Amino acid sequence: MISRVADHCFWFGRYIERAEATARMLAASVSLALDAELPAAQVWRPVIVVSGEESRFRNRIAGDDDDHPAWGDAELVQRFMVWDEDSVVSLTRSIQGMRWNARSIREVVSHEAWEAVNELHLWMRDDASHLTYAQHREGFYQHVRRATQLTLGLLRSTMLHDEPLDFMWLGVLLERINQTARMLDVHHYAFTQASGRHEVVETALWLSLLRALSGSEAYLKRAAGRISSEGVARFLMSEPAFPRSIAYCVHSAYSRLCDIRPPDSHDLPGGASLERLRVLDAWVGARRTEPVSATGVHELLTHVVDEVHDICETIGRELLGATPAPAS
Amino acid sequence: MVQSQSQSQSQGPGSGLFEGYPPLAGTYDEMFGDGGVARAPFARVAALLAKVAPDELARSQALAETALLHQGVTFSVYGDARGTEKIFPFCLLPRLIAADDFRRLERGLQQRLRALGMFLDDIYGDQKILAAGVVPAEMILGAAGYRPMLRGVKPPGGVRIHISGVDLIRDADGTWRVLEDNLRTPSGVSYVVENRMLSKRMFPRVFDTARVHRVDHYPTRLAETLRSVAPTDASSGDCNAVVLTPGTYNSAYFEHSFLARTMGLELVQAPDLFVDGDKVYCRTTRGPRRVDVIYRRTDEAFLDPEVFRPDSMLGVPGLMRAYAAGNVALANAPGNGVADDKAVYPFVPDMIEFYLSETPILEQVPTYVCLFDDDRKYVLEHLDQMVVKAVDEAGGYGMLMGPQSTAEERDEFRRRIEAEPRRYIAQHRIELSSCPTWISERGAVEPRRVDLRPYILTSREGPWVLPGGLTRVALKRGSYVVNSSQGGGSKDTWVMKDA
Repeated sequence: MISRVADHCFWFGRYIERAEATARMLAASVSLALDAELPAAQVWRPVIVVSGEESRFRNRIAGDDDDHPAWGDAELVQRFMVWDEDSVVSLTRSIQGMRWNARSIREVVSHEAWEAVNELHLWMRDDASHLTYAQHREGFYQHVRRATQLTLGLLRSTMLHDEPLDFMWLGVLLERINQTARMLDVHHYAFTQASGRHEVVETALWLSLLRALSGSEAYLKRAAGRISSEGVARFLMSEPAFPRSIAYCVHSAYSRLCDIRPPDSHDLPGGASLERLRVLDAWVGARRTEPVSATGVHELLTHVVDEVHDICETIGRELLGATPAPAS
Repeated sequence: MVQSQSQSQSQGPGSGLFEGYPPLAGTYDEMFGDGGVARAPFARVAALLAKVAPDELARSQALAETALLHQGVTFSVYGDARGTEKIFPFCLLPRLIAADDFRRLERGLQQRLRALGMFLDDIYGDQKILAAGVVPAEMILGAAGYRPMLRGVKPPGGVRIHISGVDLIRDADGTWRVLEDNLRTPSGVSYVVENRMLSKRMFPRVFDTARVHRVDHYPTRLAETLRSVAPTDASSGDCNAVVLTPGTYNSAYFEHSFLARTMGLELVQAPDLFVDGDKVYCRTTRGPRRVDVIYRRTDEAFLDPEVFRPDSMLGVPGLMRAYAAGNVALANAPGNGVADDKAVYPFVPDMIEFYLSETPILEQVPTYVCLFDDDRKYVLEHLDQMVVKAVDEAGGYGMLMGPQSTAEERDEFRRRIEAEPRRYIAQHRIELSSCPTWISERGAVEPRRVDLRPYILTSREGPWVLPGGLTRVALKRGSYVVNSSQGGGSKDTWVMKDA
C-alpha cells in the first residue's frame, strides 16, 4: 500500500473519532449543566482543558484570569468547540480534516462511506446545520454523532478488511486512547479534589463522564449499579470488553498493527512502532490489578498519552512516508 | 408487448413535454425532423419522454443534482481559495444516436485512430510521410507537441494512443464531422458513466424501453487496455498498473479517482513514485513496489523534471529514462501532441490514404491553415465569418467567434495571426446540431447546440469504441461553445441497439 495513502487512511480515522468524541463530550456537558447543580465553569472549563486547547482559549478569550466569565459561558465554549476555524479541535476543523483526507483517497474509501462523509461535510457548510444548532442543540450533536458512527460502521461493513481499513482503524483507536485518557484524567482530578460534595452530585458527575464516553450502560452492567470514582476509573482504564477503555484500545491497536506488519517479518518497515505498542499493551495490562489512587491514575494516563504521541510519530516515520523509503 | 403498444399510441411526438418545441432555423435537430415529428428511430423514446410532466422533470433534475453533489461528482473551481467544488451542469433529457449512425462512426473512428497511431510511429521513426511530401515537414517539426528527443523510442506494447476522445459535431445537413482529435489526456469519461446512472435512476421505464448500449464496462476495458501494453518482463498476472494524478486540486481529480476506483488500481501522485536503475517503483508501507504501467493524467511537461522542465519540482525524476529503456508503459505516450495539433488536423485524411490506402470514412471541417499564404489571405479577408482557433489551446480559450465578434476583437486576432501564423487555423462556423434541453430557469424544453466526444481505447489488438460518449451542450441560449469552462453542460448519450 502506498505510504501517502496509508497516511490519509490513518488521519481519516483519527478525524472521524475526534469529531465523534467532541460531539459526544459537548452533548454530555449540555446535559450535565442541566442535571447537576454545579457552577457553570466546572462544567465547561474541563471541555476546553480535555481538548488540549486551554492555551489558545486563554490567548484568545480568557487571558490569565482563572475567574474569567468565559470559562462558564456555555454558548461561548460551544461556539469555540464547534464553529471556530482557528481551533484545531473544533468540529468544523475535524469534519474538514475527515473530508479532505477521504477525498484524497477517494478511490480507497468505499462509495457508501464516502457519501456519508461528504453529506456531513455539505451539511456543516449549509444553513441547515446552523439552524439546527440554534434551535435544537442536542439534535445538532446527535446529527454529527450519527453521521460519524454511520461512517465508521460503513467502513467496516463495506470495505475489504485489509491494509487500508487497518490503517483507518489504527487511527481511530489511537485517537480514542487519547480521548478517553484525557477525559478521565481531567474529570478524575476535578471530581476527587473537590471534597465534601453531596453524593447525588458526585453520582451525576461520574454518570456524565461515562455518558460522554458512551459507557454508562456498559459500566452499570459491570458494576451492578454501584457508582464510585474508583470503579469508574478502573473501568475506563482496564475493562477488556469495553471498546473505549484504554486497555481495549491499546490491545486492539496492537492487533491492527500486527496485521499491517506481522511481528515475524523482520525485513518489513514498522518494527519499532510494533515493539513500542507491544510494550505499552503489556504495561497497561499489568496495571490492571493495581489499586487505584488519584495520583496513580494521573501518572498512568500521562504515561499513556505520552507513549501514544511517540508511537504515532514512529508510525508516521516508519510506515506513512514521513521519510521516504530508500530504493531497494 | 401489450404495454409497449399502448405506450406508443397514447401520445404523439411534439406534444406533452415537447409541446411548442421551437427547432432552430437552419439547424439539424437530433430528435425532431421536419414538421416537429420525431425522427423514426427515436419515435418510441420521444413519445415516452413527451409524457413526462414538466414539474416531474424539474423535480428529477433537482434530485439528480443533489445526488451528484452528495457523491462528490464535482470539479474544483480554479482560483477559489475556499476550494469550492461545483457539479458539472447536465440535462437529464438524453441525446439519442441511431444504431446505423453509430456503426458508421465506430468504423470511421477506428480507421482514424489506426492512421494516427501509424503517423506517430512514423514521425518518431523514419518520417516516411515527410519524405513523401504528404504533410509539410515544417508543419510537423515545428509543432509545439513534437518531441525530438523521443525519436527512436518505441513504446512498450507498440501503442501510443491508448485513450482518445475525438470531438464530433453535426452540421446543418446532419453530416457527422470530426472537429478535433484529443490524443493526450482527454477527460470526461467519468461523466459518461455517472450520467448513465442518473438516467437509469430517473427514467427507468423509458430507459428500459429504449434498448440502449451499456457504458459501465468502460473501466474494465480500460484496465485490460493498460494491462495489454505492460513491458514484456511483467507477466500479466501481477502487472502493476497505476493512475497518476496531479492531485486533489486538479479540476479533473474526481475523474482520476473514479477511474482508479472502478478499475481497482492505485491512484498515485508523483512523489509516490521514484526511479532506480531505470525501473519505476512506488513507495509503499512494505517498501518499494515495481510499477509496470502508468495511466498518467498529468501533462507530459510535468512528467519528468530531468527532461521537460528542469525548473519544475513536479514529476518523477528519471521517468523518461525508464520509459526509453522499455521498463514502463505510459498511457498515453508522451509526444502525441504533434498529432492532435489543430494545424496538423487538416492532413489526417491524407494520413489515412497514405498509411492505410483507404478512403476516409468520416468527414472533417474544412480548415484554413494560416501558415499557408493563400489560406491566411482568405482568413484575414473573411474574419467576420470565421471561427479562428489557436492550435495549442483547448477548453474554448484562444478563440475568435467571427460572426459574434466586435471590430476590436477582429483587429486583435488579425495582429496575432500576422505575428504567429503557425499558431492559428480558421474554419467557417458550423451550425452545430441541437438537442431538446431542459432549461430550469424557463421551466421549458428548448433547443441547445451539442457536440459528441466518443472514447476510443487502443490496446495491442487495436482500437475499440465505447458505444456512447459525452454529449456536451451549450446551455446558454444562442451559444456555440460547449466547453464546461464556458457555460457548457452534458447529457447522457444513448446509442440505440438495432431495432
